[in-house]
Amino acid sequence: MGTDYDVCIIGSGAGGGPVALTLAEAGYSVVVLEKGPWLTGQDFFKDELACCRRSVYTPQLEDEQHVIEDLYDGEWVGEATSESGWDFWNGNCVGGSSNFMSGFFYRLKPEDFRLLSEFGPIEGANVADWPIGYQDLEPWYALVEKEVGVSGRFVDHPFAEPRSTADFPLPPTQEHPVVSRIDSACNKLGLHPLPTPRAILPAAKGERGGCSYSGYCGSYGCSTGAKGGSRAALLNRAVTTGRCEIRPHAKVHKLISDTKGKVVAAHYFDADSRTRVVDAKIFVVACQAIETSRLLLSSSGPKHAQGLGNNSGQVGKNLLFSAGGSGTGDLEYAGLSESDAAALKTRGPFVNRGLQDWYYIDDKAFGGRAKGGTVDFLLRHPNPIGKAMSEKWGEDDRLVWGRPLQQRLKSLFADSQYLRYEIFCDWLPTDDCFVSLASGVRDKWNTPVAKVRIGYHEHDLKVGHYINERTLKVMEAMGAKNIRSGVSGSPPQNLVAGGCRFGDDPATSVLNADCRVHDVENLYVTDGSFMPTGGSVPYTWTIYANAFRVADRIRSSL
Amino acid sequence: MTTRRDADISRREFLTRLAMLSALAASYPATALQKMRSGAGTAVSPEWAGKDPWLTLAAVQEQMFPAGDDVPGADDIHAIVYLRNTLDNQAADGEDREFIFNGVEWLNDLTQEHKSKPFIELDETQRETMLRQIEQSNAGQNWLSLLLTYLFEALLADPVYGGNPDGIGWQWLEHQPGFPRPPADKTWYRLGRPVYYRRKA
Repeated sequence: MGTDYDVCIIGSGAGGGPVALTLAEAGYSVVVLEKGPWLTGQDFFKDELACCRRSVYTPQLEDEQHVIEDLYDGEWVGEATSESGWDFWNGNCVGGSSNFMSGFFYRLKPEDFRLLSEFGPIEGANVADWPIGYQDLEPWYALVEKEVGVSGRFVDHPFAEPRSTADFPLPPTQEHPVVSRIDSACNKLGLHPLPTPRAILPAAKGERGGCSYSGYCGSYGCSTGAKGGSRAALLNRAVTTGRCEIRPHAKVHKLISDTKGKVVAAHYFDADSRTRVVDAKIFVVACQAIETSRLLLSSSGPKHAQGLGNNSGQVGKNLLFSAGGSGTGDLEYAGLSESDAAALKTRGPFVNRGLQDWYYIDDKAFGGRAKGGTVDFLLRHPNPIGKAMSEKWGEDDRLVWGRPLQQRLKSLFADSQYLRYEIFCDWLPTDDCFVSLASGVRDKWNTPVAKVRIGYHEHDLKVGHYINERTLKVMEAMGAKNIRSGVSGSPPQNLVAGGCRFGDDPATSVLNADCRVHDVENLYVTDGSFMPTGGSVPYTWTIYANAFRVADRIRSSL
Repeated sequence: MTTRRDADISRREFLTRLAMLSALAASYPATALQKMRSGAGTAVSPEWAGKDPWLTLAAVQEQMFPAGDDVPGADDIHAIVYLRNTLDNQAADGEDREFIFNGVEWLNDLTQEHKSKPFIELDETQRETMLRQIEQSNAGQNWLSLLLTYLFEALLADPVYGGNPDGIGWQWLEHQPGFPRPPADKTWYRLGRPVYYRRKA
């Protein structure tokens, strides 16, 4: 019996795009089902409200929400995000949250694939080695550099990961003048400031324009196509093959499986909330970690009583965020020459600098050899409304208004540039961080929403503090004033992975090494869900690389 | 009402003066803000602005964000136009609208109780006293905080939303906006709404 399509992909972000492009180019018919609308570069503007102040690219929390379980006085208490306002959506439109990334791209390192063997077990953490090694993923990292477009400049350093090519295929994006201050502070401290690779085109390539250097990138959609999101970089090309169809406003709520356990159809709600059906030979789930686990858990069938791929109870387990913290310091214009101040005020080019000097820690004071993390430098978020908001609160939680408020605003905007840094370290997988279904809380289609328990491991904070103490010295050496920083176990909702870890043992993993669900012959997961451990960098490059790798496996199987 | 009418008159006179200043700019250097004001177009005073809740809200906004020689005030940034556009919008937060409107009634009830006048008829010191008094309650503080949020948006959101005329707020704070900027047919509430397909009968 024929099917509508060879491949049905659920989700159009960084996990879905590589599969759609690879298989459409290979001659297979592909349909991509995306919950959100199909916005293009024509719809993205540097709009202070659309970005960050309103739910434009994500659902209204009253319509679709999560339940977040946090620890209060020793008990796990769940709260719906429609009540708390804590939004766990990251971008629901064609291209997913990759439309809104900052595009600073790091690869994992060989040791990240074997954290357990390299650094040993940590009590209370479910650390595991990956079933593949860095050498298995390296060719796909290299492919992403070309297919998505990663710009940068390779600089060797003590913890540099091996590369199959000498350098990036595209030169770095323009750099903000503040990098010279970062470089000189780091050099003084004997550190290795690294140019940050970016999934952003410095010049036009194919149908995509080059970066316009407006200075509004992370959390804003890109109007030129320079940002290497899944839509601009991959799906547009998949569509031009004539074999890839994208259906926006298609919210898949259940995968139907037969008596052999094989997936036979995807059921989705269309824009009118009518149920529609797609059948295909192969199904690929890539809805971002939380929603991928939710979909599998919601898709019980004759052979999958507890949800698809969940016969070992592993779906949703070992969810990962990114641990670490952040800090900021003021670089004051006062005392600078006019030209230096003007340079520091520049808006547009990128602060392409990061540090990986503490990617591994070898320090007796810390407790011996351990996994550390990455530091990335950036300017404060450019949205002026968000920036102004904190100024309305004064001493004793009283509001500030009138002249005092206006003076604060003027000083905030006109006296300093704000340099920020973010620390990325492993969010150790534990039994206290997982996705399940919230039986009592439903979305606007009356299906149970995902419940997310967000417990963290104390070790994550220890690593975060270790790196933060050292990064503060860099900020001081730069002459930053009013330095503030924080390390916390609060999960950054935009950096999420895990929940369907891959592995060789079906008892302890959901996916096999090819990211196919162990006991479902035609179901793959290609977003960040597969990762047993997360590494200490943002996930996107690894998700792209793995999705290209898995797409190649799927092509071989068709 | 008297206060508001007076304010309108002085505002018109002010603009006339500014227009003259602008014409003389070559020989009489105007301050940066005066330049901004002269470039910001005519003051907006449509009929709705003369009635509550907008009348009281505009007075509260001006108290919280007063105009100065070098500082654009609530009137300069068209804060009341922005607020009305935002609350009357199809995609507006209905709860915010109700809360803000109720707050106007609470405030005027309070000023009637203490000063036997509506808020707009109080002098500046009395206005400040009343606002600081309502700040003592949680609801009052939330109300004022919300009005400040919308003031910040009026000051710093794109002019397409009705505030920040000609980027007056951006210029005051030396803020460089991004580009491309949103045209009127691509405002946030016109993006991303689901397309509802009509079913055939």
